[in-house]
Amino acid sequence: MRASAIVEKAGIPTASLVCDGFVGQAAGIAPGLGIAGLPVARIVGHVDGQDLDELQQNLTAVTADAVIACLTTPVEADSAASGLTSDTVVARGSFNEVNAVFYERRWSDGLPVVPPTAGRVAAFLAHTDDDPDRVIGALKPSGAAATVRNVAINGVMANCLPEHMPVLIAVAEALADPGYGVEHSGDTTGGDALIILSGPVVDRLQFNCAEASLRDGYRANTSVGRFLRLFLRNVARCLPGATDKSTFGQTWRVVLAENGTAAQALGWPSFSADAGFEPDANVVTVGRFTGSSVIGSIYGNDPDTIARYLADGLVRQSGWELVFTVGFSRGLYRPLLVLSPMVAKTLARSGTTKERLRGLLFEHARLPARKLEAHIGAWSNMVPGNRTLNQLVEAGRAAPHYGESDDPERLVPIVEKPEDILLVLSGDPLRANACAFASNGMHGFPTAKRVRLPAKWQ
Amino acid sequence: MTAAEEFEALWPGGVNAVPAVPPAPRPADLNGRRVGFLWDYVFRGDEIFPVLERALAEAYDDVEFVGYDAFGSTFAGDEHETLAALPHRLKELEVDAVVSGVGG
Repeated sequence: MRASAIVEKAGIPTASLVCDGFVGQAAGIAPGLGIAGLPVARIVGHVDGQDLDELQQNLTAVTADAVIACLTTPVEADSAASGLTSDTVVARGSFNEVNAVFYERRWSDGLPVVPPTAGRVAAFLAHTDDDPDRVIGALKPSGAAATVRNVAINGVMANCLPEHMPVLIAVAEALADPGYGVEHSGDTTGGDALIILSGPVVDRLQFNCAEASLRDGYRANTSVGRFLRLFLRNVARCLPGATDKSTFGQTWRVVLAENGTAAQALGWPSFSADAGFEPDANVVTVGRFTGSSVIGSIYGNDPDTIARYLADGLVRQSGWELVFTVGFSRGLYRPLLVLSPMVAKTLARSGTTKERLRGLLFEHARLPARKLEAHIGAWSNMVPGNRTLNQLVEAGRAAPHYGESDDPERLVPIVEKPEDILLVLSGDPLRANACAFASNGMHGFPTAKRVRLPAKWQ
Repeated sequence: MTAAEEFEALWPGGVNAVPAVPPAPRPADLNGRRVGFLWDYVFRGDEIFPVLERALAEAYDDVEFVGYDAFGSTFAGDEHETLAALPHRLKELEVDAVVSGVGG
């Protein structure tokens, strides 16, 4: 649809081929693409499950006529302006009455929201030096402006505290960054955004970075995580059943807060420093991750053995997502490894630096070439034509070290280079566990923004 | 908050920030036109476009086609580069109409 919008703007008519289940999504994304209507030619069912005869029959019987209609019938322009602004009162009444309206209008995630009254919103705006009407960016698919003011409104709804406002703004800035790729938030594989918070603000705002650091139960982690999903729902208008085509999806994730004190004690760089900021900078990083699993009970104190176990966890978590390392893109896969501080401490005691750990993980997080090829080719058809890694190297779609031999059993890394593996210290400081997340590549690429505290920060 | 408390709740959405332009005008038919195919290199476009090309050629005596290879992938790693070049490339190839896919 993004290509079709550009073509239409160039004055050339288009027909967009869309499988049945995605026709509603196609209609919902046109406003964000700046085009007042994009005609769609539907494909019966979904192409993935059809044999060639069935596909050809459906195309001939249904899609071909629809293509002709799209290209030769004048398109009626949609007018989607609602007339609503951030000053518009859209619900009056009791807590329950307001919540009923918000749920009915699809502005709520199904849990009660805190009614965003002018007074509450003003309290949030008092915790930033930003202009309330500053446009942070236009969020796809809706094309709506993310502003400081609607950040505050959604922050109120999520049960955040006014003091969280600088963090919320940084989250919105990450979403609005073109490098993040917010337009993919409703893709079918359904990776969910994770906010990683690093810096002294973790302690100052009472984010939990110790036991159960990825579980609800701490207001800061929970409410700020909820804010992100509400903001996607209400401003980007990423709505399940319409523009959100996640096949499964997950509940929004709570904020993952880094235990910066532990990292500092070990002499390991903070996650803020890894992201290119000063070691003690307050930084929000937002990225989409498709799933996670725990690497449990990490035993012993030999760095190589520990690294092998951690690497095995990373490999087990990485399947079709490897298309972001080779195929779809080159070197944009960013798996995340969350280490409990105890694991890091054991490694550091033997002189293993964070950089050295990344090197070991790069060496050990490998799988046979034939299996990587199957993940991106035969099993998923994400790279059509069952192309080998060597062919992808020749086509410039894989780094040269993926084509060093023809042996299908040769081991190839899950990432292009060691720095592609993200490492965060968090969780119970007295237990040796880790958690591996698979990344959604450039469709929710980890994007870091500085948290700008107000001059009169208390 | 109490049960009896009354609230006036503000709209949580955002005002559209992307000016919308109308869709392109359509020709009455495709005779004498050149149709370009754009592919995102997923969901079997390599099997779909030949079928549609045959169907359009049957419907119109005088229609020409430009294959997806002439443009590059409209998705994933190549997306930004391909889309940035698209208006110029379409003009260069004198394309009058486009079939783009595959969404799914």
